[in-house]
Parts: sequence; structure tokens; C-alpha cells
Amino acid sequence: MVDLFAADTLGFIVVSAIEVITSVLVVTAKKLVWATFWLGSTLVTIAGLYILFGAQLIAVIQIIVYAGAVVPLMLFGIMLTRTKVMEEEGA
Amino acid sequence: MTAPPLANGPLVNLPYVGTVLARFVVFIINSILGFIGWLIPPLNVITNPIASWLASDIIIALLAILLEITLVIAWATVVHLLTFIWIERKVVARMQDRRGPQLSSLRQDFWTGKRNPFIGFLQQIADALKLIQKENITPTAADKWMFHLAPGVLIASTVFILAVFPWSETFVVSDLPVGLLFVFAGFSLAPLAILMASWAQNNKYTLLGGMRAGAMMMSYEIPMVLSFLALVVMAGTLDPILFVRSQEGTNIMVPQRLQGMLGWIPNWYVLSIPGFLALLVFVLSMVAELERVPFDVPEAEEELVSGWLTEYGGMRFGMVYGFKWLRTLLASALVSLLFFGGWSGPVLPQEVWFLIKTYLVFLVFIWVSWSVPRIRIDQILHLGWHRLIPFTVYNIFLAGLWVLAAALQSTVAYGLLGVAVLVFVALFVVPTLRVRGRMPAGLSGEERAGR
Repeated sequence: MVDLFAADTLGFIVVSAIEVITSVLVVTAKKLVWATFWLGSTLVTIAGLYILFGAQLIAVIQIIVYAGAVVPLMLFGIMLTRTKVMEEEGA
Repeated sequence: MTAPPLANGPLVNLPYVGTVLARFVVFIINSILGFIGWLIPPLNVITNPIASWLASDIIIALLAILLEITLVIAWATVVHLLTFIWIERKVVARMQDRRGPQLSSLRQDFWTGKRNPFIGFLQQIADALKLIQKENITPTAADKWMFHLAPGVLIASTVFILAVFPWSETFVVSDLPVGLLFVFAGFSLAPLAILMASWAQNNKYTLLGGMRAGAMMMSYEIPMVLSFLALVVMAGTLDPILFVRSQEGTNIMVPQRLQGMLGWIPNWYVLSIPGFLALLVFVLSMVAELERVPFDVPEAEEELVSGWLTEYGGMRFGMVYGFKWLRTLLASALVSLLFFGGWSGPVLPQEVWFLIKTYLVFLVFIWVSWSVPRIRIDQILHLGWHRLIPFTVYNIFLAGLWVLAAALQSTVAYGLLGVAVLVFVALFVVPTLRVRGRMPAGLSGEERAGR
């Protein structure tokens, strides 16, 4: 039986709940910028999970590489292309 | 390495202060609960378990951490943020032959009967009060939720750094073994927030400013982290406290027979060749990261109104703008921690040494910012990608040779180091002498007219 009120179990439940919710929002978001924002939050919460597992270096690298570099690159890609594409009929 | 003769100690033991405060808070709450139980005895069934739960170790520990975080945020913002803004205003005013803010102050002759040296210090508080009173306008075409969310992400990514940032050996919330990398992670989250803010405002100036800011910050993070890597090679740790400890004592390059005469030279990384070169790159990248003046194309007033901040008004603008100074505070503290020995120094408490160094570094930041003109975005990116990155990669190699030479203290190692430095000069310094011809020149007036 897992002790639900131990600090790390509670932390795991909260962080993974946020992660699941935001990762669902990534694929359901109507606007691409919102999708990348939710992707960024998912990646940061994954870093939180790494911290709970005791892998601090991987957590920090996760934030620097994914949330700090990959998500802004995707945002660049989205912002530099035509936004109308998503809003047109049948596209 | 020998310990300095007059080692200094920390002044504030933050975990201890946090625990004492937490016990105090729990004591007060439990007294109230006890009083309620004494007043209405049947309620003891509820109040007694709550009181014993509150007094348990884990709750005290959690509360202590919360209080420590609050203390550190208050220390960074209320104490240093306001002082930084005041210092910048006063120093810039002096550089421009003005006086700066001078009316909002405590009554000048109240305490001493003399002029108040902190004249104009309350101007920041007056400005904040003015901004709080302003209407909180959201543009009609803006993406409302992201417009409100983006400043929060920016502020969170800055406060995030305070969780691991040490102000002395014991004045730190959490002493992570990878603390310094954590600080860089905090800095690397800023482009995300800025791009979100610039997009959400739905304005061409903010989008342009955000694009410039994002491109600049992302390309300058690479030389920043690479120049930091050269120091990691020399220090062998990512823990900020061990990093400072590795800078205590005599410089490792002082030979054994000269210890008596040159033993006072500290092992600060700025006093080594790779460390000094890393300092140049690091400060340059930090200025770009903070969007200070030579690199302030993201909010070039003449072209882009106010860059990615254009549509923000009221206290939301105030927060984003104020948190730039919090990042400046962290940047100058980081420079003094990485290069100038942090809190190491004789006699004075560690916090005092650290703050002296931090404020001096900040004065250099102001001095550089307000005495050079802005450079173009293409020149900025050219400098970042084509010059600083090869420079810092070579610098890591130099740092490795430096450590080797200090460890062996042999002629061969010193010779290798000398050759490497000569190659460095040939590769990076000599071409820079012709930098004017090599930087991509903008179009001249006739060319632009011909297009």
C-alpha cells in the first residue's frame, strides 16, 4: 500500500496530474501558439518529475534544452509563417 | 590551497531562521486553537488533532521552506530591486549631467538636520503606487488569457532562480548540487515568456520586438553557457557554494617558492587567462540577455515604440519592467559569484563581501549601458554566432590547459599553455583588428534608394 500522504507521493500526484492535463491540451488547443505553450508546461512538469526521481541534472537539462530552446524554436516557426492557414475553411 | 588567515563567516543562517519563524507561526495558531478548545470544550475533538498535526515535523519543515522563500523574495525585491533602480537612475543622471529623482524622499532635515543621502529613494515606490492606480487595459484584439499569463511566466522564471541562488554559505533556500545550471535554466525560460507576450498583444511592433528579443536571447545563451563551462573545467563543480570555495585561498598559478611574496593573490577566476576571457564573453552575453542598452534592439524606442512591452499598461508593465532589474540583480550577483570569488574575502561577513562585489559589477553594467550606442540586430547575431561561440569553445580548451599547467607546474605544461595562448591571439585577436571590414555592412543610402 502506497502512503498517499507522503510528501513525494503527493508531489508526484500533483505534478503528473498537471502533466497529463497539459499534454491533453497540447493536442486539443485551437491555436498553435497555445499548443506550444502547453507543450512547454508539459516539459517543465516532466522536469519536476525528474526532480522527484532524484535526477536533478536531467531535470535542469530538460528545462534548458526543451522548455528553453525547443519550444521557442517552435514558436518562431509558427510566428514566422502565415497564421491564416489554420483559420481557412477546409485547411 | 591554504585557507586564508582571516576567514569570514556567514551572517544569516536561513534554514535556522525559517524553522524558528515556522515554529513561531505554529505556536500562535495552536494557542488560538487551544483557546477555542478551552472556550467550547466539545470542539476539542477537532482542534486537538489539528494542533498536533500542525506541530508535526513535516508541516514545520514545509512551513519553514515557504517562509524561507518569502524571505528571499523580499530580500531580493524590496531591499535590492528598489536600490538597484535608484542607483541606476542616480548614476545615469550623473552621467548625463542631471540630478535624477530628488524630491520623493523622507523629510530631509528630520533625522540629521542635513541633506538626506538617500535623496529620491522613494521615487520607485511612488512610481509603483502610480502604476497600481492605473486602469488595467487589455487590447481588444489581444489573446486575453495569454496576454495576462505571459508576465506571470516571466516573473515565475525569474523567481525560480531565487530558489537556489546563494547569498552566502547558509543564506540559501536550497543548496542543489547543480545549482548554477539551475540558474541558467531560469534565464533560458525568458524567451518563451517574451515570445508569448509579443504574440498575445497582436501588434506588429510587439511581434517584431519579441522576435528580436527571442532571437537575441537564444543566440547569446550559447556563448554564455559555453564561457561558464570554461569555469566549470577549472572549478570541477556546479554547486555554487563549492564553486566559491574553489576560489578561496592562494591562486593556483603562484609557484611554491613565491608563496610568501605572492600568497595574497586570490584564486578568483578573473585572475586567470581563460577566466578573464570568459568574463568578457559572459558580461557581453549577460548584457544581451538583459536587453540593456548596446543590445536593446528588442525595445528600440525610435523604431518599435516600446518593443514587446508596448501594449502592457499599469502595474502589469511595472512588474515586467521591474523584473528586468531583478534579472539584472541576479546577473551581477552571478558575475561576482563566478568570477570575483563570491563572498570570499577577509574579516567582513560573507553577505557584505558578496553585496559589495555585486553592486560594483552592477555599476559596471550601468557604465557600459549608458556610454555606448545601440548596435544593429544583424551585427548582434553575427557577433554572437560567428565570433563569441568559436571564442568560447577555444576558451574551454585553454581552461583545460590552465588546470593541467597549475597541477603539473612543469616547464612543458607552461610551454603548451603559452603556445595555446599565442594560437588564441592569432585566431581571434588579430582578425578582430580588421573587424570593421569583416562585419556585414548595412546598405548605404544610395543602395537603399536604388532598391
